[in-house]
Amino acid sequence: MFNAEKFIKEIIEKLKNEITGKALIAFSGGVDSTVCAALVNKAIGDRLIAVHVDTGYMRKNESDNVKKLMEEIGLNYRFIDASKEFFSALKNIEDPEKKRKIIGEKFIRVFEKVAEDEDIEYLVQGTIAPDWIESGGELRDTIKSHHNVGGLPEFMKLKLVEPLRDLYKDEVRKVARELKLSVSERQPFPGPGLAIRIIGEATPERTNIVREACDIVEKEIEAAVENKKMEMPWQYFAVLLPVKSVGVHGDKRAYGYVIAVRAVHSIDAMTCAFSKIPNNIIDKISTRITNTLKDKVNRVVYDITNKPPSTVEWE
Amino acid sequence: MVKIFVVDNGGQWTHREWRRLRDLDVDTKIVANTTPFDDLVKENIDGLILSGGAPRIGLEGDLGNCSEYLEKADFPILGICAGHQFMARFFGGEVKPSKLPEFGKIELTILKENELFSKVPEKSIVWESHNDEVEKIPDSFFLLADSENCKTQAMKHKERSFYGLQFHPEVEHTEYGEQIFRNFVKICEK
Repeated sequence: MFNAEKFIKEIIEKLKNEITGKALIAFSGGVDSTVCAALVNKAIGDRLIAVHVDTGYMRKNESDNVKKLMEEIGLNYRFIDASKEFFSALKNIEDPEKKRKIIGEKFIRVFEKVAEDEDIEYLVQGTIAPDWIESGGELRDTIKSHHNVGGLPEFMKLKLVEPLRDLYKDEVRKVARELKLSVSERQPFPGPGLAIRIIGEATPERTNIVREACDIVEKEIEAAVENKKMEMPWQYFAVLLPVKSVGVHGDKRAYGYVIAVRAVHSIDAMTCAFSKIPNNIIDKISTRITNTLKDKVNRVVYDITNKPPSTVEWE
Repeated sequence: MVKIFVVDNGGQWTHREWRRLRDLDVDTKIVANTTPFDDLVKENIDGLILSGGAPRIGLEGDLGNCSEYLEKADFPILGICAGHQFMARFFGGEVKPSKLPEFGKIELTILKENELFSKVPEKSIVWESHNDEVEKIPDSFFLLADSENCKTQAMKHKERSFYGLQFHPEVEHTEYGEQIFRNFVKICEK
């Protein structure tokens, strides 16, 4: 069985030898990058600089939470608001693979700028097994290009360090618990963020819609779990679909977007089963979304596919 | 410590197979399917797993050096998905596109008792992901299990310790996946 304590000891030794200069960690505030930052921090101390990029495609209040988290771990950090750049890079882009690759490259360019200014040689990423498996290459088919692997540009100045490459999320969580990190049970959130939860062009306006819907799904499901009405899913969120449908609002015709709610159960993201959310919970989620977003959304559907044949995120 | 390597045919779950073995404290490593057989012998391995692979890889053509392994090995080999389909073709069986491909959850029925399915009930939930399947098993094999839409879910060589599985015991959602790996490790320990 995977032994977190042993892993931590061995990896810190390895990192001490591997990283001779200054390193930068791509810090999203999720479990993987937080665990990675804590480990590298133990190995090389203040030679590590954590960089958090606000892409504009973050969840509600995400950046504030991330700042708190970086302070909690005692990281030497930089906070970069690059939302304008990301929005303009994704203008008129609809293809999911293009979105992922543009975002992957943008991240690297932001990191390179920091690296140049501060004389940094190494880029630490919280890449885990499903990221490189699904990104494909050689014999393996590309399912989706994870921004931190398949989305990396061909030419890169920074040397990559990926201490969690052979681990799956359940193992990363074990490491997080061993390190007593508050994010150990946090649900996964994709690096490209809300951009891949908007089918079609990820404009700022549509980002606001899906951000609000995601927040409602998260709050309602977390409350239901708290009240022991259901089990905690592996991941739970909303997706904004590009189709419009007809509705009726107070005797008037409405014509708005459709939101798909997704919640899945999994151990390692390599196979998933859709969550059986109790009807009254899904009812509440639907009503809250359509009432809160009444000018934009008038229909909510629930995604009932497993992985395979589908994947967790829609893009 | 028993030593079992995983031959990578490019599957999405190759690394999961490695993880299952590692979790059972097996000495394991993922190796390219172009690794010469002699290099495996030099490593003194006790068994081999042939992983699944990228789309349609089981249907035609070679699978790296997998044919050499099947020809020369005197240790147990477990073929999974494309690895299983290739095993069937190598020994004279037929592989064809499935009439109804299976993805995700299905019910497996064990037809014949075998060490590989020790402590696995007659009916259990397994997960699948395949476009092709073994239409006719080789004469040198017997059938171990089937499902509603796929008649060859598991097979074994009549004399040698070669097993083929269409479903994926390495994924978490396969109910008795860990038990099947445990059984295979036991077979390799002999």
